This record gives sequence, C-alpha cells and structure tokens, in this order.
Amino acid sequence: MITLDQVTKTYPLGKGSSVTAVGGVSLEINQGEFVLIVGRSGSGKTTLLNLAAGLTQPTSGKVLIDGTNLWDLTDQQQSFLRSQRIGFVFQFPSLLPTLTVLENVILPTVFGSKQETVQVHERATELLQKVGLMDKLAAYPRQLSAGQQQRVVIARALMNQPLMLLADEPTSNLDEKTELEIMGLFHDLHTSMGITIVMVTHMRQLVSYGTRAVEMANGQIANGHAN
Amino acid sequence: MSAFQLALKNISGNAFRNGVVSLCALLLSAFALFTTLVIRGAESSLRLTIDRLGADIVVVPEGSEAKIESALLMGIPARFWMPADHVNKIAAIPGVGVVSPQLYLATLTGADCCSVSDMFMIAYDPASDFTIQPWLEEELGNGLRVGEVVGGSYISATEGEQNIKLYGYLVTLKENLEPTGTGLDQTMFLTFDTAYDIASKSEFQAESPLIIPPDSISAALIKVKPGSDPQDVALQIIQNVPGVTPIESSDLFQSYRKQMTGLLKSILVILSVTWGLSVVLIGLVFSMAANERRKELGVLRALGATRRFVFQSLLAEASLLAFFGGITGLAVASMAIFLFRKLIMVSLEIPFLLPSPVSLLIQIGAGLLLALFSVNLAALFPAFKISRQDPAVAMRE
Repeated sequence: MITLDQVTKTYPLGKGSSVTAVGGVSLEINQGEFVLIVGRSGSGKTTLLNLAAGLTQPTSGKVLIDGTNLWDLTDQQQSFLRSQRIGFVFQFPSLLPTLTVLENVILPTVFGSKQETVQVHERATELLQKVGLMDKLAAYPRQLSAGQQQRVVIARALMNQPLMLLADEPTSNLDEKTELEIMGLFHDLHTSMGITIVMVTHMRQLVSYGTRAVEMANGQIANGHAN
Repeated sequence: MSAFQLALKNISGNAFRNGVVSLCALLLSAFALFTTLVIRGAESSLRLTIDRLGADIVVVPEGSEAKIESALLMGIPARFWMPADHVNKIAAIPGVGVVSPQLYLATLTGADCCSVSDMFMIAYDPASDFTIQPWLEEELGNGLRVGEVVGGSYISATEGEQNIKLYGYLVTLKENLEPTGTGLDQTMFLTFDTAYDIASKSEFQAESPLIIPPDSISAALIKVKPGSDPQDVALQIIQNVPGVTPIESSDLFQSYRKQMTGLLKSILVILSVTWGLSVVLIGLVFSMAANERRKELGVLRALGATRRFVFQSLLAEASLLAFFGGITGLAVASMAIFLFRKLIMVSLEIPFLLPSPVSLLIQIGAGLLLALFSVNLAALFPAFKISRQDPAVAMRE
C-alpha cells in the first residue's frame, strides 16, 4: 500500500549545515495493518509519517502509494490522492476554529470529488454519532474538551472513506481515560472497518493496540516486530 | 461548502486583521471617491456655468476679471461699471453676432429694507439677452415683467409665498433655475426695467438707495457670428474699445482652474502616499495573519486542499474584507459629500455640483475596484508564499 524506499529527509540549518531527520529508511505498510511507529522525541517518527503522507518531499528516495511514486504526481493529483485515500489525525488541535463541529467534519469533501449535500450531511452526522458527539453538531471547537476535539478530528479523517488513517501522537495531549477511549476508537476502526492505521507515538504501552510496531532512533528504523 | 463560503467563515476569525484591512480599504475608497467627486463636481459646475451664460466672450472693465469670476462662481457680489456706449462699439466689430449688456448689483448688508443680505443680482436687457430670456420664454411662455425676478436654485421667497423685499421694493419670484453648484444658484435675475424701478424707488423706501450710474453697464456678453473666431473678435475688441477686457468663455475661470489643478496635484500626491502606505500595511498584516494561521493552512493542505485552493481562499478573504471596507468607505464619502457640500464649497473656495446618479454609480464602482485591487495586491505575496509552503513545515511548532 505505502512503500518508502531508501527515503532520506534533510533540513538545512543555514550556513551550509543541515540535519538529517530521516536517513535512508525503507518501510512497507500493507493494507489492513495497524502499525505503530514508536521512538523518543526527535527520533524522526513524525517526519517519517509526513513523508509517507506526501506532506513533505524527501531529499532522496521514493515514496510509493499503490506503486505510484507520489512525487511524480502534480500538486493537484497529490492533493486529490490525500483527500480520497488518507485520513489525518494530528497531535495539535487541528479543527478550524471558525467552523462548527459539523462543518469541520464536512471540510474534506470540499477538496474531493463532488458529492450530494444531503449525502455529505448524512455521512458527517453518522460519523459524529459513531464518535459519540451527536449533541455537538452546532458547537464550535472552543466549546469542546480536548478529547471531544480529537474525536471530531477522527470523524473528519473518516469523512471521505479513506483506506488509511495516519495519526501523529493523537493521544499525547489527553488524560489517561480519554486516551483509552481514543485508542479504543482506533482499535474499533481497524477491526470493524478494516482501515489501515499508521500511528506515531512515544508511548510504548500503546504498542499492544497495533499489529506491528516499528521503532525509530536517530532517523533510522532501530527495530521492527509483529505483535 | 465552497472556497468562498470557507473564506466567508474564516474572516470572522481574526478581528485585528479584519479591522486593519477593512479600515485601509475604507480610507482608500472613501478618499478616492471624495476627491473624485469634488474635482469632477467642480469641473462640471464650471462647464455648466459657461454653458448657462451661453456667451463666447464676456467683456468687463479692465481689472475686473477676478471680480466677475468670484461673482459667477461663488456668488460674491461684484460692482464695476463701464460706459454703456461700449455696446455699440462692440456691436460694430466684424464677427460680433449679438451683444447683450448686463448690470451687476447687490442687496444691502443687514438692512431691514432687504430680506436677503448681500445678494448678487444680475439685470439683463430682454431685447438682446440670450442667457435668461430664451429659457424664460420656454418655461413661462414670456419674459419677466417689471417687478418680477427669477432666482438661482437656492433662492426662495421670504415675504409671503412669492415675494422678496429688495431695497424696500417687493419683487415676485417667478421661477427657479436648475442648480449649477456655483454662485449663480444664489443670484437673482431681473430686467433692466425692474432694476431701474427699484433704484428710483429705493431713494424713498430703502435705508440706502440702489445706485446705478447713468449710461453705465457692468458687462457685455457676446455671441460671435457663425464661422467667426472668438479669439480674433476678442483681439479686435482690445484694439477698438479702450479700458475693457474681453474674456473668451474658454478662458473664463482660469484662476479657479489653476487653483483646482493645484488642489488636484496635492490630492494625487496624498492619495498616492496613502495608497502606498495602505498596501504596505495590509501586506504586513496579511503576512502576520497568514503566519498565525500557518498550522491551519497546513491542515487544509493535508486534508486535500491544493496550493491553488489555499492561495485563492486567502485572496477571497482579502476581497471580502476589501469589499466590506470599501462599501462602507464609499457610503461614508457619498454621505459626507451630500451633507457637507456647502461647507466643502466654502472651505475649498470651489464650485460644486452633485453628480448624476449614473455618474455617481460609475465613480462608486471605480472606488470599489480601487479598494479590491489594492487589498488583493497587498495580499498577493503573503498568500502566494504561504500556499507554496511545505504542509509539514507549516504544521511544525
């Protein structure tokens, strides 16, 4: 599904120096997997996720999605692919503050293929029901708790029925109880809907939720094992 | 939800940016419309006054050029005289078609015998007049009788329903002329017979008599014969009639035109500086706002927004702010012009005529376009820069 082939990402620091966030990593993620990328802060795991999603261009190497080199595509093709195939859950509050909960969930449909407004609203409502926020349709993000906001983000990520969810530290800002609820939701999405999930986390105790764990250290894959 | 709807939602999220950008758009459009209306209003006013006079040449006593301009444009009463037989001398000059003499008079200042104070009055000769008489014949079917006057658009009856008291003499206001935005709007027109009648009776009825020197006129209006060159005729008047100055209609109000040109230049400089500063300020504010929203825009890109969508969305926000600010500014400027036009005329010492609705709409449209263009120009670079940014970099802490 996603293949990273000898991917390197180097950031310039100025005055001729640079830092390599990911160095020559090769990784294959197959359909139906729940892969956890674990590692300490600064190990390169978020950069790896961004590379896999096409959110940043590799300095060298290839990123293939279903055999297509992502960086051979135009910006429009890449954007369309992201909107249709990939759902994102970020670590930081990523809801648009000026939109209601329902509008935030509908947002990805603006960029994808045209859909009937009625169907869009039905699907958004259905997803918000699934994450337990049916009573918050008209609320604004500032009126929600951090856990509720993250649930809305998950509903938004699922709006275009993606084949894959990419999550970057989705529970790092949440209390333990909410973390368990969110991880339960991911587990449910993986088992009941068969969605491929790639999650970046620094919390080793979450490894048990995934089908495979990949450990990153110093921009390299240090270890990988199946659960 | 479309890009436009998204932009509409987004502009509710940043009060500082919205305030600054809208205010700049407001100031730009208001200033542009205000100055355009004033300059064009003054221009059309001058043009209309010359058309109203209908003369190719106006002959006045030497040294009275500025006085007649002030009288016709600002309604400041003028008193100057030249021998009445100049009319015959002028009429004898080849190329002169019609010569019509006029008397320039004024009401008394603060006197009970005059219901209007220090008002300019023009007495004309109905036999030769081509300024008022044709219009009167068209409007009233005949000319003015003794004791009747027509007024500029601002003149109204002060004694009863139709009468005005001049030197203790009651005249009847028969009609009002269309506005010109000049002193003609505050001027009364009467025939020679009425003027002489007022003058003779004023000795007994007024606090101070109306004096018209015998065998004198104030000015002579000339229409040249078809095919004659007004410049040649003016030259011959200088050569044949001593002590007078012929002013061609194209040269009339030259001092005001120069004043307006100077005013226009100053306004253009101020407008250019304001425009440049506004564009820079809007650009800075947009850069700050776009930078604050870096993460948000990165998220949009991750969700599938193309670079073009982000770029267009930011410009749509800029356009909406320019539109709201611009419309407000244009409304303020239009209202200010409408409410304070007399104050503007007096303080800037220029004539002014409100534009026609069509002309006003065109100028409002141009003001709105200026606001839209300026704000979009300022937002162009920040919008382009942020839309080209790597989404991962944009979302980084």
